[in-house]
Amino acid sequence: MGSSLPAKEANLFKVIVKSYETKQYKKGLKAADSILKKFPEHGETLSMKGLTLNCMDRKSEAYELVRRGLKNDLKSHVCWHVYGLLYRSDREYREAIKCYRNALRIDPDNIEILRDLSLLQAQMRDLSGFVETRQQLLTLKPNHRMNWIGFAVAHHLSSNSSKAIEVLEAYEGTLEDDYPPENERYEHSEMLLYKISLFEECGMLDRALEEMQKKESKIVDKLSFKEQMASILLKLGRFEEAEKTYRSLLFMNPDNYKYFIAVQKCLGLYSENGQYSTDDVDRLCALYSSLKEEYGWSSAVKRIPLDFLEGEKFQEAADNYVRPLLTKGVPSLFSDLSPLYEQPGKANILEELFLKLERSIRTSGCFPGSSHTEPPSTLLWTLFLISQHYDRRGQYDIALDKIDEAISHTPTVIDLYSIKGKILQHAGNFSAAAALADEARSMDLADRYLNSECVMQMLQADQVGLAEKTAVLFTKDGDQHNNLHDMQCMWYELASGESYYRQGDLGRALKNFLAVEKHYADMTEDQFDFHSYCLRKMTLRAYVSMLKFQDRLHAHEYFHKAAAGAIRCYMKLHDSPSKSSTEENDEMSKLPPAQRKKLRQKQKKAEARAKREAEEKQEDEATSSHTSKSGKKQNARPVDLDPHGEKLVQIENPLAEGTKYLKLLQNNSSDSLETHTLSFELNMRKQKILLAFQAVKQLIKLDENSPDSHRCLIRFFHKINNLPSPGTDSEKLIWNVLEAERPDLRAAAAEMMYLLEPDKKLEAIKLIEDSVNSTASGNSVLGPVNEWKIQDCIDVHQLLETIFGDQDVANSWKARCAEYFPYSTYFEGIKSASAAYCSVANSLEDSSENGIVANAQMKSADGETCTLNGTVHIVDELSNLSIR
Amino acid sequence: MVCIRQATIDDLLAMQACNLMCLPENYQMKYYLYHMLSWPQLLFVAEDYGGRIVGYVLAKMEEDPSEPCHGHITSLAVLRSHRKLGLATKLMSAAQAAMDQVFGAEYVSLHVRRSNRAAFNLYTSTLGYQIHDVEAKYYADGEDAYDMRKPLRQPQPKKHHHHHHHHGPGGCCSHDAPPAASGSSPPSSNSPEKKADS
Repeated sequence: MGSSLPAKEANLFKVIVKSYETKQYKKGLKAADSILKKFPEHGETLSMKGLTLNCMDRKSEAYELVRRGLKNDLKSHVCWHVYGLLYRSDREYREAIKCYRNALRIDPDNIEILRDLSLLQAQMRDLSGFVETRQQLLTLKPNHRMNWIGFAVAHHLSSNSSKAIEVLEAYEGTLEDDYPPENERYEHSEMLLYKISLFEECGMLDRALEEMQKKESKIVDKLSFKEQMASILLKLGRFEEAEKTYRSLLFMNPDNYKYFIAVQKCLGLYSENGQYSTDDVDRLCALYSSLKEEYGWSSAVKRIPLDFLEGEKFQEAADNYVRPLLTKGVPSLFSDLSPLYEQPGKANILEELFLKLERSIRTSGCFPGSSHTEPPSTLLWTLFLISQHYDRRGQYDIALDKIDEAISHTPTVIDLYSIKGKILQHAGNFSAAAALADEARSMDLADRYLNSECVMQMLQADQVGLAEKTAVLFTKDGDQHNNLHDMQCMWYELASGESYYRQGDLGRALKNFLAVEKHYADMTEDQFDFHSYCLRKMTLRAYVSMLKFQDRLHAHEYFHKAAAGAIRCYMKLHDSPSKSSTEENDEMSKLPPAQRKKLRQKQKKAEARAKREAEEKQEDEATSSHTSKSGKKQNARPVDLDPHGEKLVQIENPLAEGTKYLKLLQNNSSDSLETHTLSFELNMRKQKILLAFQAVKQLIKLDENSPDSHRCLIRFFHKINNLPSPGTDSEKLIWNVLEAERPDLRAAAAEMMYLLEPDKKLEAIKLIEDSVNSTASGNSVLGPVNEWKIQDCIDVHQLLETIFGDQDVANSWKARCAEYFPYSTYFEGIKSASAAYCSVANSLEDSSENGIVANAQMKSADGETCTLNGTVHIVDELSNLSIR
Repeated sequence: MVCIRQATIDDLLAMQACNLMCLPENYQMKYYLYHMLSWPQLLFVAEDYGGRIVGYVLAKMEEDPSEPCHGHITSLAVLRSHRKLGLATKLMSAAQAAMDQVFGAEYVSLHVRRSNRAAFNLYTSTLGYQIHDVEAKYYADGEDAYDMRKPLRQPQPKKHHHHHHHHGPGGCCSHDAPPAASGSSPPSSNSPEKKADS
């Protein structure tokens, strides 16, 4: 603390520290310089000067000064602490922890440093270290509430809930009886609810209940209180009381489905898989009709029975359910019913019902058996519902007829155009789908939802440029396109990435996938500030669940998609290294060494110039552009030197890069098939036979009937059958492991292997040709809901063309698919090129970014391995279909 | 049809996606975390039968000690595809009730774009808000905002006015302009609340 300095300089040192805290960096810098004029090697001053420069974005100087300062005064805890802070500011938490520990060795009871250390330990989940540090803090300052709470939370996090309870009770022991004062009621209430949840967590249910009864008056969050009470009563098997509590919760909010499920549980009427005995169904019926009387305005009461009712009763309940919603015109009706399509038989009943309603309205203007005349819009919404029903069943022709009729009935209802676009998307005409979504958008330009749907359709149709132009209409915040990135608009980045991948632009694809990955890294970072914030705010239940949420953050769907996308890009880069980089290398290698060097220097200079220009441009923009409403200037954005991902594709070892993301998937999404198919693909390319084998084993463990599992298994044995006999010891070792495991897997392999044998080709083809698309075969309302998806059929076509190499068969397959998917541009179905679906479609058809071109590209862009992937997968699925 | 419940931490990503899908005012994840970790009682979601988040309300308590205790609706959104179900009304009522019961708020405030008639009607005729002020050029694109308020504390007869759902605005309901880039309210990472020595 500037201890070795004379009084004047010691005061100046205090100025540096103060200025740092108050962010008056220039002032601090001046003070530091005047000390250094006299004592140029004073360690702590050098360190503090470095820390100050760090806040002024002069990173490299900062590190140099801080290190020099430390070297000059290794015994100073200030120098070590500053070094730690520097690392912390760069998110180098492990290094920072080491520095703090060194600082504490010199000054073990320094509260500031201990607190900083505890935050890092929470961030890094060094739980035993966290407990230790929080204990020290509590010992040093037991009169601080935060230190008690922090110690309790630390124990809870390291799985010692009962110890956490003890700490909280000891803390309560330090409080007066009339605690809390009015302004701390919320905080105290949160602490109590946290403690009760700890009781519940370690199974001390009676204690939890007792505590709740004792402290009820001090708990302000009555909703949480009631919910927790009900949950504990249920766990204790005190069903009557639990039911009563849940019913009172229902009275407060009859739209919370969880309460209904809980009431069912109280009555022993809940089954996880939705299977109920007829007796149970009767009791459930009785329950819900009584609930309907009590909570008649709740839509849940009417919807839930559709799940457990069957046959005629189901039809009757569905009828009663949909009528008022059709009259009212609720656009989400179909999506509300769609989970029922998973249940056998219900789709057919619904179809009958819908058609009956439609007929009746057409002929009499009323619902069947009713004399009440429906408004004209009822027919419209009935057609809307029926159209989506047929879409769902893969009968796109009827779906389009119905929606077209609805549109001519009332051309001003925007939702009709959105749905028509979706039907066309499912039917395989992406550019027409985008055109319709655009028409819907143009009908209400102020609605961002319509804009977003349109952008999604455009990306699906590989119209990336148009999609971008459309999306930025809603990013009004200055820097247009980047705003989507700043706001973490991940669906957009993922869809763009997929589209670029389809079009073979791996640089831009990677750019987008990695952008999503970056958002997740930022979110992990976001938690840092809350470690101390929540201890102050006392929102401990929320805090602990946030930590758990962070621990599984990378299991989230968007992250999974981004990582999988990036891995696929890296594998493609490996399979066919980027053109630009090979060309460049060729060019370079032709030159004599001296010239090569010159060229490189020239390139470097050009890069530097580009960077400078970009920065200047940005500065201009910054000065001319707006300040935000708080008057603060927007943070300067670092210049992106690689906006199109050109550098990303010039990577040296794409497989190693892919492996990084694969590890994240393996650690966080190990129950996803895709994780292991990617692991298989990647490790096959890396010649890591045993790791590939492990992936196959994981796949079979997760789902031995999955086509993906079969496909990988076959390719694996295909590969090892073709391996040269083992030479080195390690190869022999691998061989032995495989031989030992092989018998287990052989049956599955043999079953599928024949599909790949050349002389079995005919059989395989016959299998495909004989397959029947069950719903396409007419209007039959019987049989399971089963349809081919357009993408699978495209894959089969590619397989017939490339792997089987039989153009005749491929053509006849194409002709068949053109019948099933007459709207498909890929199969050139008869309706794919027919008159535009709406005015906008025409203009788009001419644009260079149109879906047809992209599909053609997709055909040729697929590498052999990828096609092979599709192959067996599809044969498998179609053979399943034909068996049914 | 749609479940209305308190949001959990696991809903935040879906809430952010819902916001980006239908509103022009967007926020980074940290801002959602900030709400969830400060006033977990004030976040509600609408979840459809398939488990998808189709609407949400994000609300907070204003902590300026110079003003009376009051809540503020930061953002409210319902997907266009899920209009006509009264979801916005239900979400708002749930958040308002929690402000009153848990935090003792005297009133609740919100911002709405001048041009957003549908939302304005919901707030005035269905939910009982009144214009308190106009904030000129409140939004980034230069549009004005109405600063609206609704008293919570005067004893109001609490009746269930269900059944006739008010067909409020569809997709697009309102709201706060995003905080300044570095985040005006969430604890800021740039200010290590610390010093080098003590």
